[in-house]
Amino acid sequence: MGRYVAQRIGQALLVIWLAYTVIFLAVQLLPSDPVTIFLSTDSAVDQATIDNMKRQYGYDQPLLVQYFAQLGGLLTGDVGYSLASGEPVALRIGGVIGSTMALALSAFATAVVLALAVVVAATLTRSAVLRKVVLNLPPLFAAVPVIWLGLVLLELLSIRWGVMSLFPDGSFLSLAVPVFVLGVHVSAPIAQVLLKSIDTVYSQPFIDVLRAKGASASWIFFRHALKNAGGPAMTITGITVGTLLAGSVITETVFARSGLGAVVLQAVTTQDVPLVQGLVLLTASVFVAVNLVVDLLYPLLDPRILKSNGQGSPRVLAV
Amino acid sequence: MATNDKKARARRGVRRTGAAALLTAAALLLTACGGNAGGGAQPAANSGEPVQGGTLVFAEVTPINNFQTQSARFYEKANVLNSVLDRLTYFDAVSGKLVPWIATKFSGNEDNTEFTFDIRPDVTFSDGTPLDAEAVKANLDVLGKGLEKAQIQPNVDFSAYESTEVVDEDTVKVQLKSADANFLRATSSVAAGLVSPKTLELDNAGQSDIAKISGSGPFVFESEKPDEELVLAKRADYAWAPETAENQGAAYLDKVVVKYLPEVAHRAGAVQSGQVDLVRGLQPADEAAVAAGGNQVLPAPGIDLTANVAAVRIGSGKLADQKVRQALQAGIDRQALKDTVLSDSYEIAGSVLNHKAPGFVDLSADLAYDPEKAKSLLDEAGWVAGADGVREKDGKKLEVTVTSSNNSVVIKPAFELIEQQWREIGVKLINRAADNTFLATALQDPEVEFFGTRQFAYGGLGPVFGPETNTQTLNADEELNELFAAERAAADEAKHEELVAEEQRALVVEKALALVLWDEVQVYGAHSGTNIEFTSGTAPIFQGAWKAEG
Repeated sequence: MGRYVAQRIGQALLVIWLAYTVIFLAVQLLPSDPVTIFLSTDSAVDQATIDNMKRQYGYDQPLLVQYFAQLGGLLTGDVGYSLASGEPVALRIGGVIGSTMALALSAFATAVVLALAVVVAATLTRSAVLRKVVLNLPPLFAAVPVIWLGLVLLELLSIRWGVMSLFPDGSFLSLAVPVFVLGVHVSAPIAQVLLKSIDTVYSQPFIDVLRAKGASASWIFFRHALKNAGGPAMTITGITVGTLLAGSVITETVFARSGLGAVVLQAVTTQDVPLVQGLVLLTASVFVAVNLVVDLLYPLLDPRILKSNGQGSPRVLAV
Repeated sequence: MATNDKKARARRGVRRTGAAALLTAAALLLTACGGNAGGGAQPAANSGEPVQGGTLVFAEVTPINNFQTQSARFYEKANVLNSVLDRLTYFDAVSGKLVPWIATKFSGNEDNTEFTFDIRPDVTFSDGTPLDAEAVKANLDVLGKGLEKAQIQPNVDFSAYESTEVVDEDTVKVQLKSADANFLRATSSVAAGLVSPKTLELDNAGQSDIAKISGSGPFVFESEKPDEELVLAKRADYAWAPETAENQGAAYLDKVVVKYLPEVAHRAGAVQSGQVDLVRGLQPADEAAVAAGGNQVLPAPGIDLTANVAAVRIGSGKLADQKVRQALQAGIDRQALKDTVLSDSYEIAGSVLNHKAPGFVDLSADLAYDPEKAKSLLDEAGWVAGADGVREKDGKKLEVTVTSSNNSVVIKPAFELIEQQWREIGVKLINRAADNTFLATALQDPEVEFFGTRQFAYGGLGPVFGPETNTQTLNADEELNELFAAERAAADEAKHEELVAEEQRALVVEKALALVLWDEVQVYGAHSGTNIEFTSGTAPIFQGAWKAEG
């Protein structure tokens, strides 16, 4: 177990370090340095001004020095300064991350509940028609773009019927509606994978044995099928973090909420490269961290993982 | 057909509002001896006495978190700072002249190298510091030289600045390194707003923080929720508005709440449903609906800005011959652009400067759509039609690329139409407008032939098109720069205007380095009860604004 955990954590750190390196190299591939790009979006600037600011932020140093200085800063939580506001990038992101977390976590909880509801309804219903309808929900959820659903709901609820504000005003609906919009989108892949793996579990002989022993349909589902089908769903849940973050950016923009979405938009429009760098790194880290947690939880669901020592891919077998 | 009818009816709605606006404007001009406060001078749709009190909710396009005065010039910043910071002078769009504001008197010497400002007594910043000659000097020094310890860059319009001498408590004398006939006009810019000397002592992050900036303007910072809301409260003791402002005292409104509406699709609905009193960045397609709903469509002309242009970069060599550039200029059907992509709120460009800008010269005769002339110019330049209809020369195809930011809601569809128009004269346009990712590399790439944009220009066009690093053409044209230098040094006003006209002719007609499209305008939507006017830089004037009761 200890070895497995150490291996996973090591891999996670390696991925973050590689992500940092790729971002650093990508910035070097820009035709010019971050300071010149930032200043030039406005109007003509003279070279002395650019040089001054470059010196200020360390962009005049040799590449290797910059690489290790920034890497060193990263270890101490210092990811440089936003060129647009002069504020430390960590502070700028830290100031809004709470709002995004609240949105993303609530949306995630909503997504899991929605996915489970779909799966329970589809599996336990006796009505073929209802089952057919429910089975078509996940593809529909996946197909509806976050931005479209958000715009339509706001148009109806806020502009037509006037029951909620276009702006976040702390009311129940102003959080619930964006959470629902994002949750619906994220629930789709979770529900789809869960449905597929439940089907697989039901086709296995031990279900017949349980039925023969007289177990009720809901007993089989909750005590046996769900647990055995949980692994792949958990993996896909880890992967949906990306969808969740990207969806948050869109949701926040549509609902005019403060959060990472607004910061991303600003960073990109004002060409604030250090801020963009920080955001990309943050996204990579969150992605890696969540998948690390999934990896660490996995042996609890399926002890075979430890026996095979992480070699091969037993997760796929379960699907 | 039904939609066409609807559109036509809605259009008439806009025209009616426009006609009403014109009538009101005429009435104002006739009756008001002192003129009105309006830069853009969009007269209020409501008549009657201003109502005291109330809160105006203004939806801005995107949140901004850097309010440092002179760094970047974004509308979303200027629209707030215009009400927080005063300037030495004010540009009155009605008379087209600079009028006194914090400077009660201002004048330059004959060769435009020395300027004297008399500072209004009894003006204070909101932190209690007096706005005296010392404070003005501190501000001018930062505008002219930047502030290295706070990483503040000099203001581009103050490039000739040398020093300021405090003559007495309320007089300063400014020395320039070289003549600059545009210096006075630049002091009217929001980017030359005056802040308290205590604000200038803060570091970069401090001076960027709206909560820490003290100005002498009619509104002061009250509270904010980052990226969601900014609340400004009126300053009750404000008594130093620009000379031409109708309201000489404190603002009528108690508060202004700035909110953000990045989603363009909701801007019309926000006004229609009364959730906001004013919104910036209305799409042409939404204007009719707003007007038809009894609300106001208010175009604020960007008199302080160049027209929207496709600035030409000659790095790829394809546009090195000015005949080719002239052909492209003649190959744009601007009327079709207005009819198809824009609306009645937009005015077709007559030059690179705004129609109402001082020194504007009408070049519309040279800008007529003439595809035949365009074709023969291209023939003369040696570009002949290839098999696919695209012209070629020396094995190279006449394929050109345009880049722009996504700040304007109309720029991408505009270039889509130009792409069609140029296909007829055998030119292929690759439209990368509104693609910010592409812009990051294209902005500094002289081989990307066009940059679609508009820039603040206070007087002559030297600061915009002159320097070697200018983002418009990415190239210093020697003949142009001689012209810019002569214009800056022009001693009397008539001579100066003549040279500004010369610059426009060179940029638009002879060298055709700026393919001009439409005058810059910011289209606001306002709820029926909102009374608001705009500065020559398109910023709302909250000091003179009020809301009708009920």
